[in-house]
Amino acid sequence: MNATTMGSTPTPDSLSRTLASWRLAAPRDPQFRAAVWQRIGESAAAQPWAVYARRHAIAVSGALTLAVAVGAVGGHGWARAQVAAESARLAAAYVQGLDARAMPMP
Amino acid sequence: MKNFLITLGVVVAACAAAFGGFYALGDDRAMHAAAREGDAMAWLRVEFRLDERQFGAIKQLHDDYSIACGKHCADIMAARARKAPAAEVAALEKICVDSMTGHFRRVAALMPPAQGERYLAMVLPRIAGYAHHGAPNVRVTP
Repeated sequence: MNATTMGSTPTPDSLSRTLASWRLAAPRDPQFRAAVWQRIGESAAAQPWAVYARRHAIAVSGALTLAVAVGAVGGHGWARAQVAAESARLAAAYVQGLDARAMPMP
Repeated sequence: MKNFLITLGVVVAACAAAFGGFYALGDDRAMHAAAREGDAMAWLRVEFRLDERQFGAIKQLHDDYSIACGKHCADIMAARARKAPAAEVAALEKICVDSMTGHFRRVAALMPPAQGERYLAMVLPRIAGYAHHGAPNVRVTP
């Protein structure tokens, strides 16, 4: 190790000793971790939805696609089921209206 | 959390919009109207996509058949009322079934071929499915 010999500048050996004996007595902050997570949470919450959506583009677009598909299949199926049920009811009434066997006795 | 809830709302809204849109696409207002009014002829027109000419011809056929149907009906009811033998009632019912089947086939012939087949597939099983010795026969009373 190179020595420095200018004035009162400590020698490398004394510097090393000083550094070796140096103890930092910083007070522990028990809330440190919680505070960090809170700041992270606040920064995430503060971002606009558009930014949030872009950051989670795959998940958001997947959920939207699934929602539209489910809605489309459900809506179309529900409508067709209702129409089919009405059609079946009318078909029965149509045939019964022409079926002399089904005429009730007066 | 707020953005997640907004996303959830957007997803639910998209699902509802798709449901509504495709419900409207799959819906049949004319069928609803026919069902509301219990109009079987309107059902026939809507269900089998009949044009004016086809519908007019079929309606005429129905009007003509209603005379024969009324006669069959009267015969069957008279037989039941006088407690005619079961064989006689069955014979009258067979006349009714044969007549009805012939009528439905004539109606089907006035429709486009594919619709006619669909029509027969829909109505013929309902004739066959009728309980011959079900409720109407039980109601034979003096």
